[in-house]
Amino acid sequence: MSKINPIHKKHSLVMAIACCLAAPLAQAGDFNFSGFLSVGGGMVDDENGPAYGGYDEEDFTVDNNLLGVQISSNVSDKVTATVQLTARSENDYEVDAEWAYLSWQATENSKIRAGRLRTPFYMYSDFLDVGYAYAWISPPQEVYYLPFNNVNGVDFYTANTLGIFDTTFQAYFGGFDDELDLNNDGFAEEAKTRNQMGVAGTLGKDWWTLRAAYHKADLWVDVTGVSLGANTIGDFAGILTSLGFGANANNLLVEEDSVTFAEVGLNIDTGRFVAAAEYVEFEADDALFSKNKRGYVMGGVRFGEWLVHLTASQSKDEASHPEAGIPVAPQTAPLIGALQAVAASQAIERDVITVGTRWDVTSGTALKFQIDDIDDENQGDQKVFSVALQTVF
Amino acid sequence: MKKSIRLLAATIMLGVASFTWAEVAVIVHPSAGFDSLTEEEVSRLFLGKSKSFPAGASAVPVNQNEGSATRDKFNETVCKKNASQYKAYWSQLVFTGKGTPPKDAGDDAAVKALGAANPNMIGYIDSSAVDASVKVVYKIP
Repeated sequence: MSKINPIHKKHSLVMAIACCLAAPLAQAGDFNFSGFLSVGGGMVDDENGPAYGGYDEEDFTVDNNLLGVQISSNVSDKVTATVQLTARSENDYEVDAEWAYLSWQATENSKIRAGRLRTPFYMYSDFLDVGYAYAWISPPQEVYYLPFNNVNGVDFYTANTLGIFDTTFQAYFGGFDDELDLNNDGFAEEAKTRNQMGVAGTLGKDWWTLRAAYHKADLWVDVTGVSLGANTIGDFAGILTSLGFGANANNLLVEEDSVTFAEVGLNIDTGRFVAAAEYVEFEADDALFSKNKRGYVMGGVRFGEWLVHLTASQSKDEASHPEAGIPVAPQTAPLIGALQAVAASQAIERDVITVGTRWDVTSGTALKFQIDDIDDENQGDQKVFSVALQTVF
Repeated sequence: MKKSIRLLAATIMLGVASFTWAEVAVIVHPSAGFDSLTEEEVSRLFLGKSKSFPAGASAVPVNQNEGSATRDKFNETVCKKNASQYKAYWSQLVFTGKGTPPKDAGDDAAVKALGAANPNMIGYIDSSAVDASVKVVYKIP
């Protein structure tokens, strides 16, 4: 596995796009500037319970802040350069590019984009950071849990009408290199995808939209350093290999493992009533990752400038079986038990009920309150109270 | 007490009355090859769902500035969105490169001047401001 240097790549890409933007700007060309801001804070009910949604203190903290700016400029009649830079409090306001791409308007309804794009995993993926665009402070975490949201590559996007319906279709190809803190222990694991591709489509009319998406990729995550108490996954894999269970060692590690992600969703907005539902499944071959089965259902009502909403979310993961193939014998029982325990620790079973309000203070600014009631099968219960002020400009 | 209620009632009556009287006209260049559009056609143009007139020519919708009563009435009646919902709708498209909202072009006079000058433009103004320099293709009573 070759060493990756995502920081370097990220910046060179941003620089390339920035140069494209700067050229027409220098000639006093026409460019669009827009931005969004979210200032959020919250607290948990019980410090001894599990952390959730980025909160683990009983004292109210305002540390869920995000600033984003987007600049786009026409390079030529049909070609646009766009860069969206975000700075988050959780990353010490380090500037990152969520989007940085060149877009070619191929036909009136279709465009081809190349660069860094947001992966269209979910219904709200495209504007995930723009809290003003939806009801919650952030979309339900049980479903919006994937730690990587971007892809470097190319995509094709088209919006059309089909009879009386509006349709969109998007297909992409690419990969990403990143460092992910998968088990939230403060240590980042190097990760990358190759041959990542996916399709996403929507069908809608007036007040409803149906969506479906499917993605696949070859995934590498360096989990060898992840601690299992006394030793690491890497040590454990070494022991398995030395005992002749190489295939089971491979089941623990995430090296060029084929992964798939599927989503279906429904969005409703009649003006008075809003509703949304999504269901996702993540599956990995020969890896420690569980089969993730997650979904949510949300309903809400608008009263003038107020929106009140209720969401039920659920995670019902199925643990993987890294022990498969080891002959059952008294000597192997501890090994099988240990493998099953590691696999079980990856499976989340959790129910979350979320109640929230959104108040549109003025056009462009919303104030949101939210309570999450978490019931985790393994980690216990928790309540999170959070508030956010979100704007677009 | 009674007096203040009567005053309040009168104010509400006036409010309702002025709201009903302000008819909004959707306007295009006089040379446009069509004389009317349906509410749905107008709505699709202003929500970025279609980019050309039914006759085929490309359409450039323009808004009045934020805060204008004409704009609020247009968005609520035709686009079925209040000012906040309208903004949220466009922020879903703007930050994904999937669309650009109609430009804010000013007041009745500014939008009318644009309509009179640009054969691709479509805008909306208070009916009282309509004259021969533009063609009315839809009316919001």
